[in-house]
Amino acid sequence: MRGISAAPTYVVMQPTTLCNLDCSYCYLPFRQADRRMPVTVAQAVAASVAPFARSGRFSVVWHGGEPLAAGREHLAALLAPFGPGIEHHVQTNATLIDDAWCAFFAEHEIRVSVSVDGPAARNGDRITRGGKPAYDRIMRGIEALRRHDIPFSALCVVGEPRPGVAAELYEYFLGLGCDVLGINVEELEGVNTRANGHAAADVTAFWSELVTAWRRDPRIHLREIEWSLRYVAAVLDGNADDLLPRRLDPIPTVAHDGSVVLLSPELAGFHDPRYGDFTSGNVLTTPLAEILAGAAATPWIAEFVRGVEACRVTCPYFGFCGGAHAANRYFERGRFDITETDHCRNSKIRLLEGVLDHARDHQPTAV
Amino acid sequence: MPEITSPRPSDLGTDPVTARVRDTRAGLAALIAEAESARRQRAEGTSEDENTEDGGSAVCAWNHFENIPTFYNWNNRPR
Repeated sequence: MRGISAAPTYVVMQPTTLCNLDCSYCYLPFRQADRRMPVTVAQAVAASVAPFARSGRFSVVWHGGEPLAAGREHLAALLAPFGPGIEHHVQTNATLIDDAWCAFFAEHEIRVSVSVDGPAARNGDRITRGGKPAYDRIMRGIEALRRHDIPFSALCVVGEPRPGVAAELYEYFLGLGCDVLGINVEELEGVNTRANGHAAADVTAFWSELVTAWRRDPRIHLREIEWSLRYVAAVLDGNADDLLPRRLDPIPTVAHDGSVVLLSPELAGFHDPRYGDFTSGNVLTTPLAEILAGAAATPWIAEFVRGVEACRVTCPYFGFCGGAHAANRYFERGRFDITETDHCRNSKIRLLEGVLDHARDHQPTAV
Repeated sequence: MPEITSPRPSDLGTDPVTARVRDTRAGLAALIAEAESARRQRAEGTSEDENTEDGGSAVCAWNHFENIPTFYNWNNRPR
């Protein structure tokens, strides 16, 4: 894996900056304001990504803010310019999902991923603008999805990764009925400045326990475990060098106003005296393909690529990880050419160590 | 076991993470086999058969993270 691809496999779109929740750990600025994406932005992106969709699967992920806060009429207008070969996804807090939204998802063949952090007591950070727990509203939305037999994925933020938590969470998500689950250990980024350092033994034990829980009933496609097993299987088969993509996916995030931030959506809306506003262009004035082709000219991206190469030569986990994420480098350490971050430790290094600890402790007994 | 902190000796034989994976081969092989079985039970499609009725599922395949590119991508995935 060297450098950044000029052809993304998906694009993140921000139909509105507004979110109806005010989660304590959210990284997004401007989430109190309803700055809506004009249809001209969607038209520009649709024209640019059509060639990508002709050469392979291509997705648009409607993020936010809360994408459903844009309303069905406006979201439909933003979807309209995209051709039938494009797959659409929403990452939603689920609180606005009702029968009408379920019909909308079915009509537009939108895949749904919800954000929920486990049982009610673990959702203390997911609150309304009035500071009230949002869990009941989240569950009402998820119940609507179930009522309409709409499959869904889930993303779960874990603030305190330690033994005892993983088994509880996995049991919860089995009951929730999601098909796919991603576990995000809380990160220090954006406007969330809470520290994310944890005791190594706790985090490793969390992941190891998650493997144990998943193994008992592996109905859910669990992102972290599946990827870890994919890596170790490749190592054992001797082809781990083929696992990482040849080039990093640029993951363009198109903000409500058409500005494009590459690699880490968390950087959108921020400004730094050294790096500027992190944008690489605007789809209203420059085709996305042209923005992507010139990505290396964005100063922070050139620094980030150097950082990835530094990871490659210094970190024994590089083959598993592919390099520290851009936003984590910046928000934790203030630069893009540094290497190991707390996010690396929490979500990559200790994940792999937890999986290996589990395997070590569950070796088949010889007969 | 403590985390591996030594640099990756890319030009000096096996790196320590690879070594640890290989040392755990028996336990991992059993886990990988169970995961493959679980994947079959989920009837996850592959990129070759996504036109089946599973194509509309939120789930896809072993290489799900490449086949349905979303936040479930691994590398530099957004959160």
